Amino acid sequence: MSKPTTTTSRITIGTISMYGALFFLALFFLMPAYMAIVTALKPPAEINLSTAWELPSKFHWSSFSDALSLLKSNIVSSVILTVCATTLSTVLGSLNGYVFSKWKFKGSEFIFTLFLFGMFIPYQVILIPLFQTLRAMNLYGGLPGLILAHVVYGLPITTLIFRNFYSQIPTALIESARLDGAGFFSVYTRIVFPLSIPGFVVTGLWQVTQVWNEFLWGICLTRHADNPITVGLAQLAGGQAVSWNLPMAGSIMAAAPVLLIYIFLGRYFIRGLLAGSVKE
Amino acid sequence: MANVEIKKVVKKYGPVEVIHGVDLSVHENEFIVLVGPSGCGKSTLLRMVAGLETLSGGEISIGDRVVNNVSPKDRNVAMVFQNYALYPHMTVRENMGFSLKMRKKSKEEQNERVMEAARILELEPYLERKPSELSGGQRQRVAMGRAMVRKPDVFLFDEPLSNLDAQLRTQMRMELRKMHMRLKTTTIYVTHDQIEAMTLADRIVILKDGYIQQVGTPIEVFEKPNNVFVAKFIGNPPMNILEGVCNVIDGKRFVVIGKTRFPIQDGVAAEIVDGSPVLAGIRPDSIKMGQNVERLPKDWWCHGEVVVSEILGAHSLLEIIIDGENDLLAEVEGRIVAHPGETVRIGFEFDRMVLFDPETKMALY
Amino acid sequence: MREASRDRLKAFLTLLPSIILIGIFVYGFIGNTVWISMTDWGGDGALALEPTMNFVGLANYSDLFTGFLSSGFRQDLVNAVYYSIMLLVGAIGLGMFIAILLDQKPKGEDILRTIFLYPMALSFIVSGTIWRWLLAPQGGVNVLPTYVGLPPLTFQWTSSTKAILEFNWQNLIQIFLYIASFALILVGLWILKNNQKRAVKYWLGPGIIVGLIAWFGGGLFPEALFMEETHGFNLATLGIIMATIWQYSGYTMALYLAGFHGISQDLRDAAMLDGASNASYYRHVAIPMLKPITISAVIILSHISLKMFDLIFAMTGPDNAQTGHPALNMYMTTFRANDFARGAAIAIVLFMVAAMFIVPYVVSQYRQRTKG
Repeated sequence: MSKPTTTTSRITIGTISMYGALFFLALFFLMPAYMAIVTALKPPAEINLSTAWELPSKFHWSSFSDALSLLKSNIVSSVILTVCATTLSTVLGSLNGYVFSKWKFKGSEFIFTLFLFGMFIPYQVILIPLFQTLRAMNLYGGLPGLILAHVVYGLPITTLIFRNFYSQIPTALIESARLDGAGFFSVYTRIVFPLSIPGFVVTGLWQVTQVWNEFLWGICLTRHADNPITVGLAQLAGGQAVSWNLPMAGSIMAAAPVLLIYIFLGRYFIRGLLAGSVKE
Repeated sequence: MANVEIKKVVKKYGPVEVIHGVDLSVHENEFIVLVGPSGCGKSTLLRMVAGLETLSGGEISIGDRVVNNVSPKDRNVAMVFQNYALYPHMTVRENMGFSLKMRKKSKEEQNERVMEAARILELEPYLERKPSELSGGQRQRVAMGRAMVRKPDVFLFDEPLSNLDAQLRTQMRMELRKMHMRLKTTTIYVTHDQIEAMTLADRIVILKDGYIQQVGTPIEVFEKPNNVFVAKFIGNPPMNILEGVCNVIDGKRFVVIGKTRFPIQDGVAAEIVDGSPVLAGIRPDSIKMGQNVERLPKDWWCHGEVVVSEILGAHSLLEIIIDGENDLLAEVEGRIVAHPGETVRIGFEFDRMVLFDPETKMALY
Repeated sequence: MREASRDRLKAFLTLLPSIILIGIFVYGFIGNTVWISMTDWGGDGALALEPTMNFVGLANYSDLFTGFLSSGFRQDLVNAVYYSIMLLVGAIGLGMFIAILLDQKPKGEDILRTIFLYPMALSFIVSGTIWRWLLAPQGGVNVLPTYVGLPPLTFQWTSSTKAILEFNWQNLIQIFLYIASFALILVGLWILKNNQKRAVKYWLGPGIIVGLIAWFGGGLFPEALFMEETHGFNLATLGIIMATIWQYSGYTMALYLAGFHGISQDLRDAAMLDGASNASYYRHVAIPMLKPITISAVIILSHISLKMFDLIFAMTGPDNAQTGHPALNMYMTTFRANDFARGAAIAIVLFMVAAMFIVPYVVSQYRQRTKG
């Protein structure tokens, strides 16, 4: 019935300075995107530090196809990696979240806390044993080892998101299903899983962005042939005599999948973003 | 202290008009209760007095000042919200002192006024606690204390008791009444609960669909409702309304409902003549049983068949069919043990019967 | 009853694989890294599957903090500390500011929110690559002023060798004491108005004593190094800080905006009726109410800044001395120089610093959950 209203809708100094501040901030935030697009569309000869901000005289689309041919194998690796790692860590996270929220046992909160801690460690601290273990398991250098790492270290966040999601399902619903004769797994398949679609979307999108964007493990745990897109891009941009249209085109291509998710499914993306920090 | 004048006030949300030119004068020191079903516009009206909603038309003045364009903080009104709206990160002391701090009052004055309010409301032991550490009733008192320390011209209450359990609500209702007797601050109080309205108000304003239905003292609106809506809204159980026709028999007028006849008092509603369709309103408590029937004139007696009866402690509620066809609710004194199907003698206080025009639903006196 | 206990067993068994994985891959590996950091694993033959490792105690750590050749690491550590502080202040400040602006419900709020948040969706490698180009010395940001008629900037964003706020690493102990004293006095002043006795007894008093010890006892402390070695805030890291703030203030904005939207309209109305202006509403009501969000943001941002690797890698390469960071140093030491023991020691130092923030946070969350 009662809606918030502002007392006056007149133009005041306050509103002018607010829109002014928002305008300049928006410019600051869009500046790198503009620069990337403009540079990617210029032919190499036209790229010049002093005219970097100017629009290209003619759109030069071939940077994209050139960058694509250089990054093709990286993109294939990243797609395989992202699909496998996201699926596995999301499914495991869902089962864990189900247990942590609806089948609490003595010590389960403590175990959950130990899981959470895994989310906040600087990954450098597990990098050397991880490297050694993957070598010993004959998984070093290829995608399976990288997938394993992403699944294991993705578990804390996926478990957290699902646990918080499932704690919103009323316990009475679970109890009535149990009175109707459903056991641990049938409660999950009949009641919890069908209600989890939004949870899977949020967690899945979050994992897709994390895995797709990850770099440290990519560079430390894979050989050249299986490098993910971020490593490929870093190598493309890392050369000294680099012509900037290629890295910019590569950046845009590396960013595109995640940016599209963000623009079209932003609501779910933000929920994943907030899940990592807001407790219950 | 100040009076509040509401003149031709209109509120629109986009094209939808929700309050249609309301006029109301709230006198100094008066306790006014706005009551009505949800969506009637009572909270919107209150929030317009507070300055939390803009007016789409009309004028509101507090004291002698038109406040249409005065911001809420400069109106010197204090409001108690349904969910109390206490600041969760502040202690009770800080919550109550916040408005004084915002108004840059001295530390001594802040402290003095907070202590005074805390003493009146018996909150002294809780001053250093956070709202989350208080019970519902204590939070309610903190919300009142926060309003009190301001010494405002007008108190505004937006359903302040509806989050409390029944017992606490009764207790807080009396405390509110006592507080008003002590402070005498002009008060506008919104509720959907007609018992709160009846017990607290100097005058009740009944609203429906953005129109005022009636303004009057609790007794006035109870005994002399303006229309069928007010008659049914005020009073619990609601008034019995029966549809009939006026017939003149031996020079006396009666409401005839099938086989039943209710006598119309002389001098009442002269426009009702032989053949006029009419609605008869009978308050459940104007039906008497047992000894009390004796005090009524004999021709106000009749017999009825009990359908169901409930004993509510000091009084009883019965559903009775008279003349085998007209169903009535009766609220009678004492514990009446009656079995379904039993025939009982009842009497009506026909001088309290209210007649309505079936077309306009307006009362005829 | 038997059915119920069998269900609980199933629940536990469902969790078991994850418990084992986390147990080994997180806790086992941390323990293993601690062990490696106390060996001499490295050099020739380090990449053998069964490398020779001898226990050397804390030698790697003492070398990192006092060894003649490790001044690069010490500068990296100093960089990381400054970097964390600047990122916290910048991203929380800017994010909060934008959130307050958007909370005024400007027209186009949805689009603006999207604009402020999109950097969060990018990989650090992508944003690092773009920022590297933007911060090129003769172009990008430096030529922007020429478009409004001003001379171009000449700042060497990622390669400047200038440093400010320098201090001598020899006086490390003294500096730590000054910082401790400052922190104690600050907390003491904070508490003073609520609880005078406790403030003086536990915070102000000790703070002043520690400060006096540092002041008068300065010369008596053992020196960490045998020669003077200055470290400071390398201005070259400003570009990296700016890029990180650009990428993460949208995140803090989203946190605060969610928090602001969660505050009931009634509370806002109550503050207005209590006489609070828009500014004092945020100062006294909204922002203090969102303290849990601020704490979360501090934890997450400091965690990010302490492990920051990709962005610096992409902006300056892994071995730029001016913009070094322990995370990059660890990578170079371990995977380029094959000095695994030393790399492990750097990782443990990073982990310890991160743990100072994270352990209290995770423990307090655990307490809240088991209490409620």
